[in-house]
Amino acid sequence: MKFDFAFAMEIFPQVLQGIGNTILVAIASFIGASVLGFIWEILRRSSRFVRPVAQLWIDAIRSTPVLVQLYFLFFVLPHYGIVLPAMLTGVLGISVYFSGYIAEVFKAGIDAIPRGQSEAASSLGLSRPDTIGYIIMPQMLRNIAAPLGAYSVSILKSTPYLAVLAVPEMLGSAFDVASETYRYAEPMVVAGILFLALAMIGVALVTRLERRLGLTPAKDL
Amino acid sequence: MTPIHELSVHNNAQDTMQAPAIQIENLSKWYESFRALTDVNLTIAYGERIVICGPSGSGKSTLIRCINQLEVHQKGRLVVNGVTLVPGMKGLSAIRRDVGMVFQHFNLFPHLTVLDNCTLALRRVRKLDRREAEAVAHANLERVRIPEQADKYPSQLSGGQQQRVAIARALCMKPKVMLFDEPTSALDPEMINEVLDVMTLLAQDGMTMVCVTHEMGFARKVADRIVFMDQGQIVEQAPPSEFFTNPKHERAKLFLKQILH
Ligand SMILES: Nc1ncnc2c1ncn2[C@@H]1O[C@H](COP(=O)(O)OP(=O)(O)OP(=O)(O)O)[C@@H](O)[C@H]1O
Ligand SMILES: [Mg+2]
Repeated sequence: MKFDFAFAMEIFPQVLQGIGNTILVAIASFIGASVLGFIWEILRRSSRFVRPVAQLWIDAIRSTPVLVQLYFLFFVLPHYGIVLPAMLTGVLGISVYFSGYIAEVFKAGIDAIPRGQSEAASSLGLSRPDTIGYIIMPQMLRNIAAPLGAYSVSILKSTPYLAVLAVPEMLGSAFDVASETYRYAEPMVVAGILFLALAMIGVALVTRLERRLGLTPAKDL
Repeated sequence: MTPIHELSVHNNAQDTMQAPAIQIENLSKWYESFRALTDVNLTIAYGERIVICGPSGSGKSTLIRCINQLEVHQKGRLVVNGVTLVPGMKGLSAIRRDVGMVFQHFNLFPHLTVLDNCTLALRRVRKLDRREAEAVAHANLERVRIPEQADKYPSQLSGGQQQRVAIARALCMKPKVMLFDEPTSALDPEMINEVLDVMTLLAQDGMTMVCVTHEMGFARKVADRIVFMDQGQIVEQAPPSEFFTNPKHERAKLFLKQILH
């Protein structure tokens, strides 16, 4: 089968239909994964008793395939009376899966801050919350900007998993076209190009954010 | 928060004349099973300048870090500015704001300008408004002879300048006691004097100072007392004239021979 450029152009709008959901799922999952990852990391840094539990939880999340987690949420939760819309289940699944990795990003971002920073803050009499808010967080954000940006692309690329939950997104739209026309090359290439474009836009946005964090002093106390 | 702080200030005002700034009795500190300090006794009066020296690993840093509880001791009595420090106690912030500390590696906040490094604690801890805080900061940057760098970031300054900013940052809080942990050992030789000069000025202003340093010229000139430590203990204390010319302890003799070549 020859690649038909005209056909690809023709189906472009149809594949594009899924892009809204793809972006929505990617952004929601990125936020979800960051918030959850931050919570796991805080728990891991809290009391001696919580730490091993948090560590086990983070390891467990990272050691199970995302598809297993998605199927679990989608098929098992309803048995216990928890019925979520497919899209929300998908966002939850991807958020939880990536939160395990993003917790590690936060960990590395905090570990990279020399101990002397919080010691200097303590020696000035700054409270723990002020030390976290004015000293640790701003430096951590700089440290995590780059790896977090990389995970935002990974999250974007994992949105097609939602096809298994029948959530209409870009890969799903491409499959719809394929099953209607029996042509696979064009819809897949179009979907691939759209993902590439989204990823590049995402990277550009993250780079801009990074640059701003790098240059903008924390002027407002 | 505030009442505790005011209470301690009030006590100090009453007792400043009689009570020592720092009183250390039988202080012991372990890292896991390793004993870093063994029954240390040391009393420091207000206005006194103490230089602590001794071989690497003798517990100098551990001792002065106990004074502001960056390290927690396990045994003994420790009274700072009239407050008895109990291991694991709450309200350390109220004690630390009156005890300035200067670190070997400066520990300036790299994401804040020199000015913001100085004003952060003034605003968050002393609750000054921006204008008041900046006035205090400028005055202290003047004091360490670096007023023109206020809007720069630490990374734009030389090591000596950074350390002087660190001193100014500590001074902004108007501490009753200043602790220095090898403030010049991370500096290139040509920058050591600018920092020592600032410290000498401070001493002349009557600041109570506890300095861990191997700058024996500074010690001779400024110190009221040299405290020599070895293996977690204070083995000798004497005025510089006596310590340098006639050290009693074998370890001190050896140490002086090594350090003065
Ligand atoms: N956090 C720690 N955990 C375990 N042991 C430590 C810790 N900090 C210091 N020690 C040990 O305690 C002893 C005293 O250390 P300390 O840093 O107080 O020595 P020091 O006199 O300041 O030495 P230096 O001149 O090298 O700075 C050393 O043997 C050191 O290895
Ligand atoms: Mg030391």
